[in-house]
Amino acid sequence: MLLCDFHIHTKYSDGSLELRKVVDIFGQSGFDVIAITDHVVNGDNSMGRFAHRFKFSVTAHNFDEYLQALRQEAQRAMDKYGMLVIPGIEISKNHLTADKSAHMLIIDIKEFIPACMSIESILIEAKNQGAITVACHPHYLSEALNKNTLYLWNNRDRYSRYIDAWEIGNRDDLFNVISLKKYAFLANSDFHRASHIYSWKTLLRCEKDIQSIKRCIRDNRGVAITLFRN
Amino acid sequence: MELLWVFASLTVVGLIMYSIQVFSVKQHLNNSSEQNPVQLSDFKPPLSILKPLKGIDDNLFDNLESFCRLDYPCYEIIFALQDYNDPAHKIALMVKNKHPESDITIIVEHCNQGLNPKINNLVPAYRASKYDLVLISDSNVMVGTDYLNSIVSRIASPEVGLVTNLIRGIGGRSIGAIFENLHLNTFIMGSVCFLDRYLHIPCVIGKSMLMRKSDLEAVGGMNAFKDILAEDFIIGREMKRYGKKVVVSEYMIQNINEYWSLRRFLNRHTRWGKLRWKIGGYQYLSELLCNPVFMSVLTIIAASGERLSALLFALSVSLIKITGDYYVNMLTHRHQSQRFYPKAVCYSVVSSFRQHLFVPAKDILIGLIWFVPFISAKIDWRGNKYIIGEDSRLYSHENYSGVISRLLKRLHNFRPWQIRHNINTPISNFNSSSKI
Repeated sequence: MLLCDFHIHTKYSDGSLELRKVVDIFGQSGFDVIAITDHVVNGDNSMGRFAHRFKFSVTAHNFDEYLQALRQEAQRAMDKYGMLVIPGIEISKNHLTADKSAHMLIIDIKEFIPACMSIESILIEAKNQGAITVACHPHYLSEALNKNTLYLWNNRDRYSRYIDAWEIGNRDDLFNVISLKKYAFLANSDFHRASHIYSWKTLLRCEKDIQSIKRCIRDNRGVAITLFRN
Repeated sequence: MELLWVFASLTVVGLIMYSIQVFSVKQHLNNSSEQNPVQLSDFKPPLSILKPLKGIDDNLFDNLESFCRLDYPCYEIIFALQDYNDPAHKIALMVKNKHPESDITIIVEHCNQGLNPKINNLVPAYRASKYDLVLISDSNVMVGTDYLNSIVSRIASPEVGLVTNLIRGIGGRSIGAIFENLHLNTFIMGSVCFLDRYLHIPCVIGKSMLMRKSDLEAVGGMNAFKDILAEDFIIGREMKRYGKKVVVSEYMIQNINEYWSLRRFLNRHTRWGKLRWKIGGYQYLSELLCNPVFMSVLTIIAASGERLSALLFALSVSLIKITGDYYVNMLTHRHQSQRFYPKAVCYSVVSSFRQHLFVPAKDILIGLIWFVPFISAKIDWRGNKYIIGEDSRLYSHENYSGVISRLLKRLHNFRPWQIRHNINTPISNFNSSSKI
C-alpha cells in the first residue's frame, strides 16, 4: 500500500520549513505520495489581509513560481526517493467565527484559484481542472490554539456532491462523524513543522501514478488510515 | 564570601581543563593530518557492515545510502531490524532496491537475548555476516567514500583490536538538535581525545566500531555485552585488557541531528551521565569541573555583595567558552572538508556562529543534568525502562527491587488492620493469612 500525506505546508505559506527540506523529510521517512498544499487565503477581510501582509498565503502573483518550484522538487523526489509529489493548495476562507470558516484542499491543481470566490465556484473550478477536492479538518479540533472550521460540515448537504473526500483524521484528531455519514475519507498531517510527520496518514492500494491515486480517492476503495509513529 | 572564591577558583580550574580538551582535539587532528591513511596500506580485506536499525533517524535514507557508495573493493551491508512494522524497514528496502549492485541483506528477526536492544538487533546480523572483519555502524551516521579505506588501514596491524571514530554532529534546526551537536562537537569530542591521548583510556563510541570477529569472540562475543548499556565502552575496555590496542581513527564521521526535541536531548544526556557515573565512579565528579560556565553561574549565586563582578566574570567565561567551542568547530570543519568529504556530502558543515551563542544555555543544562545520576538509576531507552547498575549493567525495571523500592513496597503493603485480623484468627491459620 502507498503511504500518503495530502496536507502539507511549507514556507510558501505558514509552514516552518522550506519546500526542499519538507520533501526530504518525507522522502527520508519512506513516504510514497505527498501533496504540498500551501494556503491560499481570502483577502477580503482583516484576517485575510493579515495573512497576505505577512506572506502566509500563496497569491496570484507567486502561484506560477510556486508551481514551478513544486515541479522541480517533484522531479528530484521521484529520482531520489521514488516519491510522487503532487501540487496542491489549501483554500482557506477564514472568518471570526468557526461556523463561517472553511478550508479545502485542491490536489493536483493546474491554475490559480482565488479564495475570495464562493465555495461553490471554487469547488466547481477545481473539478474543471481535474483536481481532487478535500474538506479538511471539518469538525472540532482538539488543539486549543487551532481554530475550528465548521462551515463545510454544517452545510454538508449542499456541498458534499462537490467534495471528493473528507478529512477523517487530521494530525492527532479523528472525526468519527465522517464515518457515521459514510463519506469518502482521507487522513493527513496538516504538516507545518517537522514533528507533525508523526500523525494520521492515508494508505492507498493503487498504482503510484496521479490518475490511479485520484481514482482511488474518489472511489474510496482500498483506502485505509494509519497513525504514523516512529 | 569564601564560597564565592571556591566557585571562582573551580571555574578557573574548569577553564584550564577545557583548554586541555581543546588542545587535545587540535593535536589529534594535527597528527592525523600528517599521515595519509588512505594511501597508508594495501590491506583491504572483505568486511561486513552491521547496521542495527530502529525507527526513523534524521536523514536516515541518505545515511544508509552513503554506505552503498564506499570506495572499497569488497564489503557487505547487513541491515538488522527487530520487526517488519519498524518504519526503518521500508527505508532499508528503498536503499536496497536503489543499489542492486551493492551486497545488501535485510534481516528481520525478533531477538530477545539480552536487555540491550542494540545488541539484540546485532546478534542475528553478526551471525549472518560473511567476513571476519566486522564494522558495527549506527544508523544515524553518514560517511564519505574514503571511510572504509581510512579505518581499515588502521586495523592492519594485528596489535590493533578495535578502531573507532570521532563523531561530529551537524545540521541542527531545532533547539534540542543544536544542543546535541554543540555537546557532541565539544565536550564529547574533547573528552574522547583527552582520554585517548593523555590517559590512554580507550573511549569507544558505538557509532563506528571496526573489529575482527576473532578478537570480539576472545573477549566474550556479543553475548557478553547483551545486558550492558555502554557496550561500546566496555568492549573497548575488554579489548585493552585482552592486550589489543584501541585506536581512535583520524576519520571523523558525521552524525546528522536536525529535529531533536529538548526532551530527547535531556533524556540522552541523563542516560549517558548515569552510565558514566556507574562506570567511572568518582572520576565522574571531574566532569563538573570541565564545565566552567556552570561553575561561573554558581559563582553568581554564591556572590552576596558582589553580584555585578560575579556577573561580569560569568559573562567573560561564557564568551571564552563560546569562542573556544567555535574554534573547535572550525578546526573540525576544516579537517573534514579538506581531507575526506566531497562537497556534495559535506553539506551545512559550517555551523553558524549564532548556534554557538546557545553554548552557555547548553552548558548550564548539562551542569544540572550532572546531578541526576545521584538521585536515580532508572533510564528510559527507546521506549524501554531499565535500572542501571555497576559497569552500566541493565536490569529490567519491572523485576528490579532495589533498597528504596523494597522499602516502598513494604510500606505499600503495610496494613495494620489485617494484622489485627490475623491476631484474632486461630493460630493454625496465622501463617498463611499473614502472607496475604
